[in-house]
Amino acid sequence: MTVLNEVVAELIGMFAAEKRLTIAVLTVVIMAGCLVDFTDLDPLVGGTVVLFGCLILLVESVCRSARAGAS
Amino acid sequence: MTWSIAAPAVTAAFLASLVEVVEAFTIVLAVATLRGWRPAALGTAGGLAVLAGIVLLLGPLLNRIPLHSLQLAIGILLLLFGMGWLRKASLRAAGIIPLHDEDAIFAAEAAQLGQHRGRQQSNLDWVAGITALKAVLLEGLEVVFIVIAVGAGRGLLMPASLGALAACALVLAAGAIIHRPLSRVPENTLKFGVGVMLSAFGVFWTGEGLGVAWPGQDLALLLFAALFLAAGLVGSTLARRISVEIAQ
Repeated sequence: MTVLNEVVAELIGMFAAEKRLTIAVLTVVIMAGCLVDFTDLDPLVGGTVVLFGCLILLVESVCRSARAGAS
Repeated sequence: MTWSIAAPAVTAAFLASLVEVVEAFTIVLAVATLRGWRPAALGTAGGLAVLAGIVLLLGPLLNRIPLHSLQLAIGILLLLFGMGWLRKASLRAAGIIPLHDEDAIFAAEAAQLGQHRGRQQSNLDWVAGITALKAVLLEGLEVVFIVIAVGAGRGLLMPASLGALAACALVLAAGAIIHRPLSRVPENTLKFGVGVMLSAFGVFWTGEGLGVAWPGQDLALLLFAALFLAAGLVGSTLARRISVEIAQ
């Protein structure tokens, strides 16, 4: 049972180790999906939102963790 | 199969597997050193058998999922997984969180196994075997995910698997020669690189799943990787600056 619990914990940790980052990335992808599905915009706009959204979120997450870790 | 996408897939699978296999090897070596190779080998074989079962179970299921849905799901998972690695690697590079220390992990595992010394020999072998099994299973899960994730979207499962197998062979060969934890592997640099590649694949597959036709097609991956590398380095530099400012 312990092994099974650890496998589940490992799987969750693989994708959601940092909850805020996980939620933010999912939000960006959902926003991009809505842009592609519900507007007349080129799907490339949605792709660009995913790309730059994730880049900004990465830098923000690292800086936030640095503030929390160093204080 | 185009080399512009096969090469990053194989490289990502190889480098990611290298990192994970080194981590698993450290624990299996601790088990083998303290309790002998029998429980270590049995635990490793058990872990590999469970992993093989997962691959055999997942493999046929993947073929039933429509390609766009598969690309979207895998793309999102790759983004979450790759950005997680890149974030941690950036923080490690900035000195905010400590580097992974294989020698320390080896010592900790050895000490933990040593605590069970009062028990019977058979129980002790059982604990040692389970420890090896857990190490192989938990680290192997990440390898399996990475191989499937970088390989499934474009029918590159076989090359990605070969990349992972090559990493296993390399670590086992190096381990057999030096017989101690592979602490000199530049693990954080590898994790940084793999995080960059997986994040780039994540954006690529997510976009394809959403119906995006990326300009330059597969070559867009290189641009994405360059942007994630730059973001990781910028994040690391800013994090270092923040920690210095707070310390002053």
